[in-house]
Amino acid sequence: MSALVIDSLEVVFGAFRALDGLSLAVDPGEVRAVIGPNGAGKTTLLDAITGIARPRSGRILLGDGRDLTQASEAEIARAGVRRKFQKPSVFPALTVRENLGLGCGPDCPARERPVRLARALAETGLEARASVPAGALAHGEKQWLEIGMVLASEPRVLLLDEPVAGLSDDETARTAELIGALRRPDRAILVIEHDMAFVEAVADRVTVLHEGRTLFEGAMAGARADARVIDVFLGR
Amino acid sequence: MVKGPGRFGFVALLLWASSLVMPPALAAEATLDRGALATALCGDGAAQAKAVEGVLRNSAEATSGDLAWAGTILRALLDRRLACLGESALVLDRAGATDGRDAATGTARPVTGGRSPVLGLRQRALIETASGAASLLTGADVELRRAGLAALERRIATVPEALLLRAASAESDPGLRAGLAAIAQSAALSSVDPARRLAAIRAVSEAPSGAAFSRLSALKADAAYGSDPAFRSALDAALARVERAVSIGNGLAVLYNGLSFASILFMAAAGLAIIFGLMGVINLAQGEFIMIGAYATYGVQEAVRRIAPGWLDAYLLAAIPVAFLTSALVGIAIEALILRHLYRRPLMSLLATWAVSLFLINGVRVAVGSQNLQFAMPPYVSGGVPLYADFVVTWNRLFAIAFAAVTLVLTLVILKRTPLGLDIRAVTQNRDMAACLGIRTRRVDRLAFGFGSGLAGLAGVALCPIYSVNPGMGANFVIDSFMVVVLGGVGTVVGTLVAALGIGGANVLIEPLYGAVAAKVIVLAGIILFLQRRPEGLFAVRRRR
Amino acid sequence: MSGALDLSPGIPAARRRGLILGGDPLLAGLVGLVLAAALGLVLLPPAPYLVNMIGQLAAFAILAVSLDLVWGYLGILSLGHGLFFAIGGYVCAMHLLAHAYVVTGTAPDLMQFMGWKSLPVYWTGLTSAPYALALALGLAAAVAFVFGLASFRSRVNGVYFSIISQALVYVAMLLMFRNDTGLGGNNGMTGFSLLFGWPMGSPGVVTGLAVATLLSLAAVLVGARALVASPLGRRMLACRDDEARLRTLGYGTTRLKLGIWCLSAAIAALAGLLYVPQVGIINPRVLSPDLSIEIAVWVAIGGMGRLGGAVIGAIAVNALKFWLSAAMPEAWPFILSGLVLVVVLGLPNGLLDLATLRLKPNWLQRAGPQP
Repeated sequence: MSALVIDSLEVVFGAFRALDGLSLAVDPGEVRAVIGPNGAGKTTLLDAITGIARPRSGRILLGDGRDLTQASEAEIARAGVRRKFQKPSVFPALTVRENLGLGCGPDCPARERPVRLARALAETGLEARASVPAGALAHGEKQWLEIGMVLASEPRVLLLDEPVAGLSDDETARTAELIGALRRPDRAILVIEHDMAFVEAVADRVTVLHEGRTLFEGAMAGARADARVIDVFLGR
Repeated sequence: MVKGPGRFGFVALLLWASSLVMPPALAAEATLDRGALATALCGDGAAQAKAVEGVLRNSAEATSGDLAWAGTILRALLDRRLACLGESALVLDRAGATDGRDAATGTARPVTGGRSPVLGLRQRALIETASGAASLLTGADVELRRAGLAALERRIATVPEALLLRAASAESDPGLRAGLAAIAQSAALSSVDPARRLAAIRAVSEAPSGAAFSRLSALKADAAYGSDPAFRSALDAALARVERAVSIGNGLAVLYNGLSFASILFMAAAGLAIIFGLMGVINLAQGEFIMIGAYATYGVQEAVRRIAPGWLDAYLLAAIPVAFLTSALVGIAIEALILRHLYRRPLMSLLATWAVSLFLINGVRVAVGSQNLQFAMPPYVSGGVPLYADFVVTWNRLFAIAFAAVTLVLTLVILKRTPLGLDIRAVTQNRDMAACLGIRTRRVDRLAFGFGSGLAGLAGVALCPIYSVNPGMGANFVIDSFMVVVLGGVGTVVGTLVAALGIGGANVLIEPLYGAVAAKVIVLAGIILFLQRRPEGLFAVRRRR
Repeated sequence: MSGALDLSPGIPAARRRGLILGGDPLLAGLVGLVLAAALGLVLLPPAPYLVNMIGQLAAFAILAVSLDLVWGYLGILSLGHGLFFAIGGYVCAMHLLAHAYVVTGTAPDLMQFMGWKSLPVYWTGLTSAPYALALALGLAAAVAFVFGLASFRSRVNGVYFSIISQALVYVAMLLMFRNDTGLGGNNGMTGFSLLFGWPMGSPGVVTGLAVATLLSLAAVLVGARALVASPLGRRMLACRDDEARLRTLGYGTTRLKLGIWCLSAAIAALAGLLYVPQVGIINPRVLSPDLSIEIAVWVAIGGMGRLGGAVIGAIAVNALKFWLSAAMPEAWPFILSGLVLVVVLGLPNGLLDLATLRLKPNWLQRAGPQP
């Protein structure tokens, strides 16, 4: 059974059809990459899943059959769907520990909280900075803090929005490693990315979006060989 | 503002009346026997009355020369400046003078042995009326003619219809002409001839107005209303017709006032919306930019008065660029000195612009004073054209509406067709991207702020002929223009226009029904409810988060 | 509250649990000062006019704290807080008049003015002080709830919210200017003669009111500090800095904002309730948009986002206003606008910047959500 099902989703902004009947299913334990040129609808897809953009039609379902289509952002997050934003978005006035605490989410059992906090601090290497206001962190540290916030909630569905945009090769490699470490059998991971090499390194399957529709779905090698995908990416 | 029945109604009345009351036999111009009149005036009361009645009856046909002559002699008689010597009458320059001129021949003669004719009460009244008729028809200036009409009005029943018609067709002053028409109507309405009355009722109902309604309503007290079914039904039909027309006219007037209020709102809010869309700053001092525009207009008026008084009428037009530039420069200065530092803190910019508004209001109060400014009203913003019933298209409001229309077109042209407009739209939609494309966003901000402030200045010009101008005037518009921005959406001129029309219209539509306060309450509640459905306003510019 | 955040374990437990004011020495000092002032007024009462002024300043300080709670900690700038202040004030005035009517039999002026034989139905029960208190706070919270629900639910925020709240207070002002509201119209309500049966204006009542206001201020400060130092306070700051992000972490922000907003309105009503018997009059001018903006100005000048800043700002600006609008009334608007511009441009954290002479890093200067 899939962990996340997108069923003929349509998102419209005025006269612009950002998603045009898109369907997608991500299995538990899978890392799925969504690629596509600018304007293909990648960010809109994440916005729709997290409740920021409202679909006109279609459905978004979780593995347990929960319908997220009309749920609020908070309800979606509490259902176990978490998103790491492209720009590091942490709360500058709160300390690292307080940020991680918020990351656990409102439904986190009180007994489990210290455990999760300690684990998130350890995994992100921010133990020494636990009492520092997040606003005072360096850019890279903020990225890690945000990943820690996502981890602290132990999401069932993890959405990563261009995690390596603007990173050096070295950092990209480390991020790929991290994603590998985030994999769990009960967790689906959806990555949106431009960087083909990175996608190839982390993803089990790719979905190529074009003009709000699925152009190709399958292994990365297949995508590289697909004529239509080449057309779209090379912009003939 | 022109009051009373409309011009069209009056013309209709003339046509009707001329067909009705002019027997063919009298249409030819009668001549006046000057000698006989002079003799009769020196005669006994019966002779006087008969002669003067003749003058009055023939006044519609007599030549102007005869009438003027009759007016002179009758005036002299009233003023005790007429002396009778046997058969002839002498007109004196002043009562008790020793010399006079023969009324009929004009030759100078001593008064010795002459007597002053005795004037009975009835004769005096008749003579006053006839003399009034003469001044109405031949008076050299409006005041004389108006006095003549006033004399006729006192005994309107004795005045022949044709006299009023002749006066009306010859009259050049519109006010007096309207007065004449009204009097002709009342004369016909109170006529003893039932057919004439019915015709008059119909004619009055064809020129509907509030005044016509009250004139007709008064007839319900007439005995004929109870006794004559034809009269009754005619009057009821006419009343219904007039009432409907008057309410339509009043409705039109309300809409018209709403349109002019909306025009001012639009000009005030367009700048706000552009600036808010661009920089996320709401300028609480926008009302004060309106005030600056109005004071700049006043400054231009005073300068023109001093330098070229002959051109005073043109000051309002000359003030347009001056007010725009003054407000724009003040706006640019405020942007450069204050707001530039606050773009990342929009809530603080609210407080900063409030401080600016406080400063400007009190600065003007100290420098100029807090009294209302007096504006000269050039002909193109005073008066108006009565259009339908009591609805008058007043030039001052039309000025504001036309002004707003021109502003709308110019704003659209500037936003859609000029490089600055392109820059403004680009920065509004995606500031970072625009900056990457080499647009100098700070410069665009400054120019746009100047432009938006200038638009408020234009609103200041447009409202000078309508609203009172004082240092605190901005407060009357500013909250409504905020609501226009909220309702219309950010950074859209069309949204601003629609919202301004909506809010301006709603205000004036609700006001007569439930009062001004209820209008504001309902409009605010409506906006908050509307935001439940569309939080970004009517026409939001879509931006990438 | 379930799912409470763990407060920084790095801080010694005694400081964490025991002293709510421990984390904010400035506030602790202020609360001490307020309590000392209350004691001083009882033991060594100064001239009644001074007592009265201190009481009024304390009421303004409460009002400023109520606004700072939503603005400084939640990023919601209300330019209509005068509405809630006025609700408290009007209800208090109604109580005073109704009370005096029952005790002395003198009908309130507004009844004579309108030619009414009895008071309108909504005056029922206002002779009871507890009911009046509950009505004032409850009504303010209820109005705030309706307006807040409509706004927060549709995600109206930032500058939008500010100007709509300003329109709200403006409309309320127009409404209260009407004579047929049964609340005094243009003239408002004045001529209060009795407070709990004691004559208004007697030294005992003046001191009592001032002391009650000072004690209320101290209580509001301690309560507000407890709130902002709690896990809920963390969420408020998170919501202020990035509401959308907080929602994607699973927190429903509408309820959070609505709750704090209603609480703030009730505190503002409390301030109005305490203020009106001290000035002896309430009229619709309390609802002028300018006055509501001035509240925000006090907070900005004192330093928003710090409870102590709000208190200092309210007291400093109003003390200056008391003095200057008598000494040189012409100059006061210029001084006020100059003060606002200096603070807004030069001292992002208000006068507290002057006091600490410490440059705050950028992330603390963010005034609120970016539109």
